[in-house]
Amino acid sequence: MARTKKISLSEEELVHALKRQDTIAIKALYDMYSAALFGVISRIIPNTEVAEDLLQETFIKIWNSGAYYDSSKGRLFTWMMNIARNLSIDKLRSKDFKNSNKNQDIENNVDFIDAQREVTFNADTLGLKEMVVALKPEYNDVLNMVYFRGYTHAEAAEELNLPLGTVKTRIRMAILELRKHFN
Amino acid sequence: MEEEQEFIQSGILELYVIGDVTADEKKLVEERAVKNPAVRDEISAIEYAMEKYASLNAVHRADELQVKIMENILPEDEKGTVADPAVAVNPAINTVAANHVVTAIPDQSAKIKKLYFALAACVALLIISTAALYSAHNDLGNAKEQIFALSQDKEKYAQNASYMTKQNEELQTMADMPSDPDWKTVKLAGTKMDPTAKMVVYWHTSGQHVMVDTKKMGLPANDELHQYQLWALVNGKPVDLGVFDAKADSAHILVKMKEIAGAQAFAVTLEKRGGSVNPTMEQMIAMGAVTI
Repeated sequence: MARTKKISLSEEELVHALKRQDTIAIKALYDMYSAALFGVISRIIPNTEVAEDLLQETFIKIWNSGAYYDSSKGRLFTWMMNIARNLSIDKLRSKDFKNSNKNQDIENNVDFIDAQREVTFNADTLGLKEMVVALKPEYNDVLNMVYFRGYTHAEAAEELNLPLGTVKTRIRMAILELRKHFN
Repeated sequence: MEEEQEFIQSGILELYVIGDVTADEKKLVEERAVKNPAVRDEISAIEYAMEKYASLNAVHRADELQVKIMENILPEDEKGTVADPAVAVNPAINTVAANHVVTAIPDQSAKIKKLYFALAACVALLIISTAALYSAHNDLGNAKEQIFALSQDKEKYAQNASYMTKQNEELQTMADMPSDPDWKTVKLAGTKMDPTAKMVVYWHTSGQHVMVDTKKMGLPANDELHQYQLWALVNGKPVDLGVFDAKADSAHILVKMKEIAGAQAFAVTLEKRGGSVNPTMEQMIAMGAVTI
């Protein structure tokens, strides 16, 4: 079962194929986006085995709920990313996952998430070095907390002892920097 | 307008894209996006940046994970094709024919690529074959020419051989002549018509053979309309012994003439081609008596 080629389709073709339940769609989506989705999942859930299960759950959900995707409301990737993030955050906060990490403070999500981060975060292996350079640290920290570590912006504000508005502004500034970077 | 700018700058659109909004906020953003293109464009730009950001932070997994996940998603009969998703056409999922059109896109492009390679290979082979054929054709032509030349040579040699055999026989005949007393050599000398003319006739008295020696012939070459005619004088009467040509490249040394039992002399006249019944006396060019 040697894999010979990766599939790449336009977003429009992908959406049509996905809504028709054409198997080419899920294969193409996997080829095109699994690494980016796994990048986010594995930062929220650093345990590789669990993260891989979550990637599978993500694709099953994408496959099964493709009919509900509305392209007028946003890009396909945003929709998939939100599925991946929601599954990952749900897992992060679920009782069985917390139980499996016995040394964690069950009652404090934020502390728990931080503990996860302390053990696993590594800018080099996560490929973030480039972006750390590009973004101001105060923006980068907030964006990463929310985007990569599963905090809500409210939790981030509490953790950083900042007003909610400031956290939102910093996330916006960080993403504006990213927009400049990618344009 | 100002209100929209404030909305955009509040950071809610970023949180919307990340997925960190309440259901109410989500609804609000979507309503605003429908009404206001600026909001919609802003969302698109944020989405694009976040997608790029995610790609930048992508983490690849082993192919085995894909196989495992696809096995869990796809129906039984699809599993075998996970390894090569491009060939997937799924009969279990009954979709319209258009399905196969899209399905076929990567499949066909791969096939077309293959076909292009095949076509290129065919063209290359054709060119090589043509060149080979052309060269073979040339070689064959050369070989044929050589065969033709060789067969011509062979024929020439065969002719030469038979010519030489004949000449050899004739030479043998001539060589045998001195030892055979029946062979008479008659030297014909030029008459007043051409005093320089001369020739030799061999005559076998018992065998009655008469031969003209072309090598010892000293007659002027005859033209197309005339031939020399040999006569035997038997008891004063000329007897026709046949015609011959006087030419340099005669194939025979000895030319056989008609047979004669007895003759006192031989004479040659120049007659019209084919010879005459009676010799034209004024055209007599050589004559010689038989010496016993």
